[in-house]
Amino acid sequence: MTALSEHVLEEIRELPGRYPQPRSAVMPALDLAQEELGHLTPEAMSEVAVALELDPGYVEGVATFYSLFHLEPIGKHRLYVCTNLSCMIRGAYGIVDHVKKSIGVGKPDEVSADGLFSYEEVECLGACEYAPMMRLGHRYHYDLTPEKIDALVADLRSGKKESAAPVGVARAKKPRAPRKKKADA
Amino acid sequence: MPELRGSSGDQPQHVLTRWFGTANLHTIDVYESKGGYKALRKALFDMSPSDITNEVKTSGLRGRGGAGFATGVKWSFINRDAPGPKYVVVNADESEPGTAKDRYILENSPHMVVEGILIAAYAVGANQAWVYIRGEYDEPYRMLTEAIEEARAKGYVGPKPFGKDYPLDIRLYRGHGAYICGEETALLESLEGKRAQPRSRPPFPAVKGAWGRPTLLNNVETLATVPAIINLGGAEYAKLGTAKNPGTRLLTVSGNVRKPGVYEVEIGATFRQIIMELAGGPPEGRRVKVFWPGGSSAPVLPESMLDVTSDAEALAAAKSMGGSGGVIVMDDSHCVVEAAHRLLQFYSYESCGKCTPCRIGQDWAVRTYERILGDDGSQVDLDILQRVSDGLQNGRCLCGLGDSGGWVIDSTLRHFREEYEDHALRHTCNVGKVAVSA
Repeated sequence: MTALSEHVLEEIRELPGRYPQPRSAVMPALDLAQEELGHLTPEAMSEVAVALELDPGYVEGVATFYSLFHLEPIGKHRLYVCTNLSCMIRGAYGIVDHVKKSIGVGKPDEVSADGLFSYEEVECLGACEYAPMMRLGHRYHYDLTPEKIDALVADLRSGKKESAAPVGVARAKKPRAPRKKKADA
Repeated sequence: MPELRGSSGDQPQHVLTRWFGTANLHTIDVYESKGGYKALRKALFDMSPSDITNEVKTSGLRGRGGAGFATGVKWSFINRDAPGPKYVVVNADESEPGTAKDRYILENSPHMVVEGILIAAYAVGANQAWVYIRGEYDEPYRMLTEAIEEARAKGYVGPKPFGKDYPLDIRLYRGHGAYICGEETALLESLEGKRAQPRSRPPFPAVKGAWGRPTLLNNVETLATVPAIINLGGAEYAKLGTAKNPGTRLLTVSGNVRKPGVYEVEIGATFRQIIMELAGGPPEGRRVKVFWPGGSSAPVLPESMLDVTSDAEALAAAKSMGGSGGVIVMDDSHCVVEAAHRLLQFYSYESCGKCTPCRIGQDWAVRTYERILGDDGSQVDLDILQRVSDGLQNGRCLCGLGDSGGWVIDSTLRHFREEYEDHALRHTCNVGKVAVSA
């Protein structure tokens, strides 16, 4: 029994061919592993290493260098709250205090009792004209206020899905292709 | 849908942002209806690769990522006739605090970046470009992916763009959270699947870059400017801006201003125009205390220097730099020592650990700030800060991260010594206690 499912390992084994040199596949591979498990366990990193024919220590060395790889459980939803200067001077630390209350944790990386949430103070996320801001569920959330945090957390608590495809700036809605019904297949 | 905060519309200085805000500008059809991909066609059929490089040289364009190196000169370092693969690598790892302009460009007009990449690749003799984009940029990543797919469907990316027998390909690579990857050789290490630690130079990337091959590395905004230069001609573009630092650039104005946003300005505009007019100045009853003219790494300037102009020469004379164009404004309700402490925490956290002066020095600075701000400081701590600052600077480290921390300490001490002395010697903070005259 492997930590990563066979189809993920299969995908990982195909990654090296996409790059001029196979080693470049290590981060995309860790991405796939983290996507499946939520965080990178030692077993998962070993399996990535074996699949890519790399030393497990090397793979762990890469994983520990980058802040978006998590080596401990982070809960279902991670709030990445920017506290760098532009956000700080527009109240980011007050937002952090409220995030703690709202998700029910005492410090960064702690997972809430319901297993749903954790947060992290992060460095500049490059959306300074919308400060204070954070990243949650593969999208940015702007002009944060305690009310906005509470609403986002309440939505996720009630089971609302994180938006996978965030809406961009100044874009009209694209007509969506009619979804195929099972009967049509 | 967030509102557009920054430049758009038909104004003389809006070379890049003129059509921003137009519905569906991110699609290839709308981009082409506004003249998009004309420059690529012109480059492929009416110009030789060296013509293109010369046009960029004539434009006087300097890199918009931070270092400000002459773009055309950088292009000419690549030996176009060297056998074997060559690469263009695009630095989309925007992470200098206070900088959001590459995101602004990618979200509004991803095809402008794609077009610039393709022209650059043709000019330096590369067939493949890699965009290294920071992992947190989910939306720009998605938009760039879609733009490349659209360009591929039309054949602009592919074996024969516009029928020309010159294969062009663009691939994306996502970063995973590390400020150091904005440094070009650290970025290359990361792209190769390693811990992102800067390389010693020489060899320079133009000779030995990505996967050991000759590589051109440019920032997103730099490449997004290339189509305009090809369309206008280098000489025409060079009429904008100052004689030594021509053109326009996108400045991210953030912090204590009424209208934060990404503003495209003619280089040479004063910071008074940028902060007080474009961005609306500080909130009612407040004054600008200090601003960072080019990201957190650019030495700070006080309110009395608002009339400094935004060109590289004027900023150098003011002992600062244009950097990444991130203009961070702080008003008189904030403490400079606390701000400097926060930035040193940043440089300490982001130090990759390769060079001892940076790895140790930034930590020393943070601990000294903690003593000073914890009412536990003394004259000794002020002396330590100055010494640590000197130890971080002047080529003691392989990259600029060390210097950047040093510049924060050095410039805040130089302009705001009294605030430091309040904290360190008198264990008090006078911010907010001073009466504000409107």
